[in-house]
Amino acid sequence: MNTSDSEEDACNERTALVQSESPSLPSYTRQNDPQHSTTEPKRRRHANSDSEAGCVTHGGVGTATEREPGHGPDGEDEELTLKYGAKHVIMLFVPVTLCMVVVVATIKSVSFYTEKNGQQLIYTPFTEDTNSVGQRLLNSVLNTIIMISVIVVMTIFLVLLYKYRCYKFIHGWLILSSLMLLFWFSYMYLGEVFKTYNVAMDYPTVAMIIWNFGAVGMICIHWKGPLQLQQAYLIVISALMALVFIKYLPEWSAWVILGAISVYDLIAVLCPKGPLRMLVETAQERNEPIFPALIYSSAMVWMVGMANPSQASDTADRSAGRYWHRYCLRISPLIRRRVKLGLGDFIFYSVLVGKAAATGEDWNTTLACFVAILIGLCLTLLLLAIFKKALPALPISITFGLVFYFSTDNLVRPFMDNLAAHQYYI
Amino acid sequence: MNLERIPNEEKLSLCRKYYLGGFAFLPFLWLVNVVWFFKEAFVKPAYTEQPQIKTYVKRSALGLLLWVAVLTTWISIFQHFRAQWGEVADYISFTIPLGTP
Repeated sequence: MNTSDSEEDACNERTALVQSESPSLPSYTRQNDPQHSTTEPKRRRHANSDSEAGCVTHGGVGTATEREPGHGPDGEDEELTLKYGAKHVIMLFVPVTLCMVVVVATIKSVSFYTEKNGQQLIYTPFTEDTNSVGQRLLNSVLNTIIMISVIVVMTIFLVLLYKYRCYKFIHGWLILSSLMLLFWFSYMYLGEVFKTYNVAMDYPTVAMIIWNFGAVGMICIHWKGPLQLQQAYLIVISALMALVFIKYLPEWSAWVILGAISVYDLIAVLCPKGPLRMLVETAQERNEPIFPALIYSSAMVWMVGMANPSQASDTADRSAGRYWHRYCLRISPLIRRRVKLGLGDFIFYSVLVGKAAATGEDWNTTLACFVAILIGLCLTLLLLAIFKKALPALPISITFGLVFYFSTDNLVRPFMDNLAAHQYYI
Repeated sequence: MNLERIPNEEKLSLCRKYYLGGFAFLPFLWLVNVVWFFKEAFVKPAYTEQPQIKTYVKRSALGLLLWVAVLTTWISIFQHFRAQWGEVADYISFTIPLGTP
């Protein structure tokens, strides 16, 4: 996804970005309270017209380098960018790892999330309890098609909402989604954890716990709160969402959906036509920063004296219970450095690793998937630093993850088992 | 949000809002208030708004301790007497452990 039309001019990206200056920063300041949005793809992150690549929808990764005019020679900029970029890569590893650890720990200990009792989401109506392999495959593909179309529809709906300035609707939608996530899902989660550990608990105490957890969460995410707490809440809600997906998506459908989402991400971010582009261009025309609905930010940036940015919202769309992600990754050198990753990415990475933990026979598969995702993330950030435009980050990690999962499960594990059986150590 | 970069009046206002919010049965909010503003109130060199922030932090800590005491008492009572209370205990139970009476 291109940053702006100016990139299509004769000037190269560097010169096009040179004019970027502080006005783009207001978007950073709002990072303090990223709107909560899950579901439906469309998290937009859009900086002002002069700079940064907006990345949005479905894990588009945007990178923008902001340079102040009159900075040093290009080589130095390059080096600074990469150096800070590397630092922020590491800073992203920690939350992604934490999210995955929480999901895997829950999957392994609380059996609720791996029990299939026939309940499915309405977005995946076709059952996988069929007799033949072909039928099952067909059903999972159909489920995927339905799911992806829901996402596309929600995306377009969101773009239209944004285009016609229905900010209140978007805000309300966002708040409703985060309410549901913070209260209802965590209530379910707490209940299951207590049941697993056979602990007696009374309603008044549970009510206090959930009320505190949810209320402080809403305050931290939608208003103002300490950065670490905000990051912790975002990680927790991503994990909760991923767990819901793992529970309610049927086996094969989940894998096909992961693959399809990556492809969609690739298309949505790299193709010139699409709702995403329209969104970014609209935002550019209006010269408004768009906030990613759900964005994990590794550091805070404040511009002194900056007034509260307009209500030009973060748009996050949410559809009842469905969370999708958009993420935007930005590497911004020099004065403001910060890296942001959308929560949708956290969610899908965790879904992949969680599914590997749930269905893989042992820890090899889980670890392999985990490593694959981190490698994918590294590569994506590297590409970002090289190309300096929005790139979809989901495809690389998910592809690696899927490849590693299937190959480990089917090739490496029997191999290791055989080696162990024959007491042959390599 | 980084406390370093906002002006002192805003810090005071934030601290006060967190303090007032905690009265809505939100000891966690008081905990966040104490932890977050501790440095501002006690470690930083004095500035005009600091005494007020100090009082808010102290009161939040007090409220937090009170709530912790209440909750601990209630939880201990419940866990200890749950079996003896019979039906009433079951009624207010969220989860009932299997195997133990």
